[in-house]
Amino acid sequence: MGERRILDIPLNRAEGDLEIRVEVADGVVVDAWSAGTMYRGIENLLIDRGALDGLVITPRVCGICSTTHLTAAVRALDDASGAKIPGDAVRLRNVALMAEHIQSDIRQAVLMYMVDFAVSAYRAHPMFDEAVARYTPLRGSSCIETLQQTKKLLDIIGLIGGQWPHSSYMVPGGVVHAPDRIGLMRCRQIVRDFRSWYEQKVLGCSVERWREVGTAAGLDAWLEENPSQRDSEVGFFLRFARQAGLTGLGRGHGNFLSFGALDLPADTRVKAPSATLIAAGFIQNGALAPFDQGEVTEHIASSWFEGYEGGLHPFEGLTRPYASGPDGGRYSWAKAPRYRGLPAETGPLAEFLMAGNPLFSDLVGRGGPDAVIRELARLVRPASLMDALDTWLEELLQAETVELYNPPGEITDGRGAGLTQAARGALGHWITLSGGRIERYQIITPTAWNASPRDSAGIRGPWEEALLGTPIADPDNPVAVGHVIRSFDPCLVCSVHAVRGGQSLGRATLQV
Amino acid sequence: MSFSVYWLQSGGCGGDTMALLSASSPSLLDLLSALDIEVLWHPSLSNLSAGEHQALLDAIISGRRPLDVLVVEGAVIRGPAGTGLFDRWNGRPKKDLIAELAHRAGFVVAAGTCASFGGLGVGAEIEATGLQFKGHEPGGFLGSGFRSARGLPVLNLSGCPVHAEVVLGALSALAEGVRLDLDGLNRPLEWFGTLVHQGCSRNEYHEFRVEEQDFGGRGCLFFHMGCHGPLAYGPCNKLLWSKGTSKPRVGVPCFGCTEPDFPQRSPFFVTPNVEGIPLNLPPGVRRAHYMVYKGMAAVAAPERLTERQNRV
Repeated sequence: MGERRILDIPLNRAEGDLEIRVEVADGVVVDAWSAGTMYRGIENLLIDRGALDGLVITPRVCGICSTTHLTAAVRALDDASGAKIPGDAVRLRNVALMAEHIQSDIRQAVLMYMVDFAVSAYRAHPMFDEAVARYTPLRGSSCIETLQQTKKLLDIIGLIGGQWPHSSYMVPGGVVHAPDRIGLMRCRQIVRDFRSWYEQKVLGCSVERWREVGTAAGLDAWLEENPSQRDSEVGFFLRFARQAGLTGLGRGHGNFLSFGALDLPADTRVKAPSATLIAAGFIQNGALAPFDQGEVTEHIASSWFEGYEGGLHPFEGLTRPYASGPDGGRYSWAKAPRYRGLPAETGPLAEFLMAGNPLFSDLVGRGGPDAVIRELARLVRPASLMDALDTWLEELLQAETVELYNPPGEITDGRGAGLTQAARGALGHWITLSGGRIERYQIITPTAWNASPRDSAGIRGPWEEALLGTPIADPDNPVAVGHVIRSFDPCLVCSVHAVRGGQSLGRATLQV
Repeated sequence: MSFSVYWLQSGGCGGDTMALLSASSPSLLDLLSALDIEVLWHPSLSNLSAGEHQALLDAIISGRRPLDVLVVEGAVIRGPAGTGLFDRWNGRPKKDLIAELAHRAGFVVAAGTCASFGGLGVGAEIEATGLQFKGHEPGGFLGSGFRSARGLPVLNLSGCPVHAEVVLGALSALAEGVRLDLDGLNRPLEWFGTLVHQGCSRNEYHEFRVEEQDFGGRGCLFFHMGCHGPLAYGPCNKLLWSKGTSKPRVGVPCFGCTEPDFPQRSPFFVTPNVEGIPLNLPPGVRRAHYMVYKGMAAVAAPERLTERQNRV
């Protein structure tokens, strides 16, 4: 056995920063701790505010998925009030949410994941020069194109909600506005333009051709089929990542969770096997079970909070910060969410598995999830959303009159769960109202699931577990750790109570 | 030599950066290249290794590497009990790093309401403050006497998020040595010398007191729906978002997010009022005059407005 050492690894480009501590033996990670090192106290500042105030405050939990927080906040109020949402309002909520997801997927893949292919650690990689030309921050060709193309999608949210980020256009009972027909036509044109770029540059083929890829062997054949697919973002990603030895890194527990998202309006042409376009569910040992929000709990045994033992359902949840410093077993401002008492990873890969997608079921069935499969799921997820996005815009355009809003009346008492999927996975808001005021508000974000610290039973969170076995070639630049974490699309500003990890830039300390 | 920018994120959501990436005319990348602005570090975009980043910081803090602009996005977190432990950086409070960099930078820019005035966390357990104001109160983190190396107070670019054109415009002015006149809250008057109300496409409904009492209508949102447009200074309806829209234009009330008291304690979507007239009136307006004017305006309202026929 060689030396064992502890490395503190700060990670930026995590929408907030993050501190990962790993224990390394013989050049491989043997244990890991994930620390969110900032607390913003958003849940507590909602207490005693007006019943609808979550619609304004919670989008500000996260600048990158603010429409998703708005969605969760409004669904919690819909649930509490029993509001009935007109079909067109469902469409207008869905369209904005999908636009936010698609731009986030591409930005994350190019600007936050593949940008690490252009670092000095890969100087000897045969594709390094091209990676530098593509992914150098603010200058690489792919970075420039990604910024140019993704911001167009955000104009769709602007046309519906007035601005991005941080609009509050969804209200209990519906939405406040629909673009006029010219505005809807602009939205459709934006989707068409984006699709054309996405097919040319990201996939290198049509969405229809991509959907034919249904097995691991089919993926290999697709990759070698023509230069356009080989050199696309997906093609380049696969070739670079495989050659860099990322296959098999970052496996994790193999538990997957989705809350489901994108309700199907009545009489839509969009078809899905369940009531939502993105299916809900929980997978353990490859077996899919229906999702039940009553099975969600949060633990604080390793978190800087106090007030209870074991796990609490978010309707009973408490957020009492306890800044004890590094003493004892507490090391994160993130709580530890669990489903049926188990850690679970969430994100586009989980969504594909819930839907029984043949390609991702085959890939995961062969060797478990890894840092390549997870990121591939993110890069190609837009391909499974674009048709529905266009259909819903078309249905709005053809509507005789667009129904926006069914007034739910004043909302004073009750409680509601607002569940949806952010680009990076399951998001839930749980609200309790009393006398027209917020009595309790709990938020569990996707990154809270993925970045979770250990729970009351000492079980590691998903990416803590996924880091085990990761090779550390250069302790001063442990780039593989970054790939594993970034395959989960970390969003630390979003990580609820914990936000924006502090950057520990301390030297690695040696522990014998 | 390039004009250098270090972008630091503290107690915030990253939304000001997200808004900035959507800048269209000019785009962020076009502007950086046209003015030879070098982004030394941005936490969402840079790919320096931890060691390279630390070397950069050491060079700036020791004075070996000149820094033209420090941009801070997010509030300074001082809780609990003034320790700053709710936001640690390199094992110590991030606020210490903010102070070190602010005292080296040629100019300091607060991007967004949290950095300007403290925003969401003012008066809450995280003890948030803005760089040079805490809410309306001058002082904040750096103190009201603070001046950056080139003699300016912190430039407050408020908004939640701040509009991309405001950030790019301010950086351009600093890079090119163009003077910006400031208001009493150190916000440039170019963008904060107009009320959000100015330019709202619902203005005719406002003039004739055609006011909505619920969501989804075309009328004005000031009297009942909690709109701060006539109260808040900011450029939303002047610059517009996504090339031609804004929250009030689509029927979302302005929440006054550019102002030092955002988020106000009073519930959103409701206007506190006295006898049907908003408690808070536009700056400088006398209540008695306003009541007479609004009474006459309602009587004069044409049917095309009372019937909500005009589009917005």
